[in-house]
Amino acid sequence: MIEQTVFYFFAGLLLLAATMVITVKNPVHAALSLVLAFFCSAAIWLLLQAEFLAIVLILVYVGAVMVLFLFVIMMLDINLTVLREGFSRFLPVGISVAVLMAVSMGLVITSGRFTTGGNYEALKHAADYSNTRELGIALFTDYLYPFEIAGAILLLAIVAAISLTLRKRPDTKTPKVEKQVAVHRAGHVRLVRMEAEKE
Amino acid sequence: MLEHYIPILIFIVIGLGLGCVLFLLGYVLGPNRPDSEKNSPYECGFEAFEDARMKFDVRYYLIAILFIIFDLEIAFFFPWAVVIREIGMTGFWAMMIFLGVLTIGFVYEWRKGALEWE
Amino acid sequence: MTLTTELALLAPEIALLIMTSIVLVVDSLYDNPDRVLTYKLSQLALIITTGLVLLQFPEVSTHIMSGHFVSDPMSAILKIVLGLMTLIVFFYSYDYLLEHELLKGEYFILMLFAVLGMQIMISANSLLTVYLGLELLSLALYAMVAMNRTSAVATEAAMKYFVLGALASGMLLYGISMLYGVSGTLELPALATYLGAQTEANLLLVFGLVFIVVGLAFKLGAVPFHMWVPDVYQGSPTSVTLFIGTAPKIAAFAMAIRLLADGLQPLAGDWQGMLIVLAVLSMAGGNLIAISQSNIKRMLAYSTIAHVGFLMLGLISANQTGYASAMFYVIVYTLMSMGSFGMVILLGRNGHEADNLDDFKGLAERSPWFAFIMLILMFSMAGVPPFIGFWAKWFVIKEVIAAGHLWVAALAVIFSVVGAYYYLRIVKLMFFDKPVQMTAIKSSQEMRMVLSLNGLAILILGFMPGFLMTLCIEAMGF
Repeated sequence: MIEQTVFYFFAGLLLLAATMVITVKNPVHAALSLVLAFFCSAAIWLLLQAEFLAIVLILVYVGAVMVLFLFVIMMLDINLTVLREGFSRFLPVGISVAVLMAVSMGLVITSGRFTTGGNYEALKHAADYSNTRELGIALFTDYLYPFEIAGAILLLAIVAAISLTLRKRPDTKTPKVEKQVAVHRAGHVRLVRMEAEKE
Repeated sequence: MLEHYIPILIFIVIGLGLGCVLFLLGYVLGPNRPDSEKNSPYECGFEAFEDARMKFDVRYYLIAILFIIFDLEIAFFFPWAVVIREIGMTGFWAMMIFLGVLTIGFVYEWRKGALEWE
Repeated sequence: MTLTTELALLAPEIALLIMTSIVLVVDSLYDNPDRVLTYKLSQLALIITTGLVLLQFPEVSTHIMSGHFVSDPMSAILKIVLGLMTLIVFFYSYDYLLEHELLKGEYFILMLFAVLGMQIMISANSLLTVYLGLELLSLALYAMVAMNRTSAVATEAAMKYFVLGALASGMLLYGISMLYGVSGTLELPALATYLGAQTEANLLLVFGLVFIVVGLAFKLGAVPFHMWVPDVYQGSPTSVTLFIGTAPKIAAFAMAIRLLADGLQPLAGDWQGMLIVLAVLSMAGGNLIAISQSNIKRMLAYSTIAHVGFLMLGLISANQTGYASAMFYVIVYTLMSMGSFGMVILLGRNGHEADNLDDFKGLAERSPWFAFIMLILMFSMAGVPPFIGFWAKWFVIKEVIAAGHLWVAALAVIFSVVGAYYYLRIVKLMFFDKPVQMTAIKSSQEMRMVLSLNGLAILILGFMPGFLMTLCIEAMGF
């Protein structure tokens, strides 16, 4: 009973947040709605007893990917008026495509042939079941090879990101801390003995 | 398994409730008397010259994406640490290879100066 | 099977990853002038990995790494071809990159990563490894296209490629998840066993299949999922176009075989129809639009689309000889495509891209030898006997007729004749038109030699197609 209430709460919030992502006008607000959507889906995954995935979703997506999204939005400096210019012009085309797709989807779903073939009940695990443990065992035995490929993909991502965005700026003036620290008295200060002069 | 998460649920409920209540309280109790002067933007007595939001430098992007990559690496560590006693030497070395591959990436980004902020 | 023997079979991939890491570290540690060290080491990496494949050429099909990796004759042959092709790409692109001031160590490193991804795809035995290999390849290619950051065209091409590529990956992944949801297995042979045991049609399976075929068509660049091909071919630096236009086609073919033949063979009745539509549309669209192009890179892009149509024709018979003809086709096509883009690179110099058809005018006066090589390439692409391109088309059409699709075969012949027009137009430009500029062709000795060998290989193979065909049939026999 509690579970169902929690599910409907988060599922409803998820739908709301997802709708807001595509309807709100300010892109930063859209990104924040996406954060909420991620959070709600994490809660739903938790209800499905996929605790590790739920936490990774928050850790990686909310914690890192969304930060990146926000950076990119701020980097692009999106001009909303320009973005909305062609709206009324493309509206008829857009609506007709949308209607066409909705009708075809409706036809497929109501055809009666589109069934999943059964009623699936989510598996209930015992209280000492640990999703992280199960995942770990699968990942490091049966899925060892895909796991190592994932490592290679991450390495490639580092190389690609650096080669595409790193720009050396030779003209910037910044203090070189290591040089400042390594300064010795001998190279910079000369003591000169001067005769006292008489007035 | 789910019963372990009841405290978190209670925490979320209280957090959400408290957040809403505080907002509502401020909205209901606070005085609200706007006029045109109060609502106009203020910038040292002048009209605003330009939008206050500036473009971000692309370097932030690089930092963020490098962070994501190592964040993902950490994410793989959790299940590994949980099952390290059960997966044996193969599992141990699998993670070491994974770590080695990413360390090479780290050496590369260090040498390229991607971590420096000029 | 013990871990040591498993690792021995994985040796080419492991060696390539290690070598790539070494190149990465060396490139960032030593600031070598003109990246000569990086270049040589990358070549060495390719030679080592290809050598390792040759050393342990498998005679049987072995599934290792919990069924995620397969080592069979087809994978070995394709990996060797892949290694050789990429090596040729290295020869062609070095001078080009140097002249166009695009030379960076990352260029070669990304290429090695792409090769690693393709090797993984070629040897994939589970839906997961197909996808991961594909991502490794695609990610490297996106970065390579965007490498020239000062060029707006290249950035636009990279953007289009990335957005459409990500969409295609999403489609593929969605299809994979449906198949996994129904069958409960990611392994391709296990999936085939499961599907073979099904007696009634499962709508969800067919749904998953549609998404997988769409994803495949996107990656291959078949009409109507071809929109990215011309822009990417034209927009990226020619050396990158050269790479994208050749090696990934081999990997895409391997992916098609792994998914459709190894995993979804029992659903062949469903996917054959889809492939026929895609193939006919690709041949029609590619050949007809190519005629109106004035940019040779764009023209070759549409020609690629047409060739992809032909490649798919080889798959529709859904039997061993059909697959063998498609394999023959893809190997021959990459060889021809390599030579054609090599010619574009050869003619360009001093930062000038020779990517207009006009640049080929009067080539016979400027350099009779390379005009002859280009003549071989164009004749072979058009499918004129006795060049190898003719045999590739011949084997495919023979299989299509054997499978009973007479109309499809007739259409294939008609569109080949249409396609011959724009290939032969280049021959006409080279031999019967006055040159726009008379400057001599300047290029390194290496480049000239490899390009000549490339052209002559097409001529020589044309006289003895049986050898390659036997190899392909044997590769498919398992």
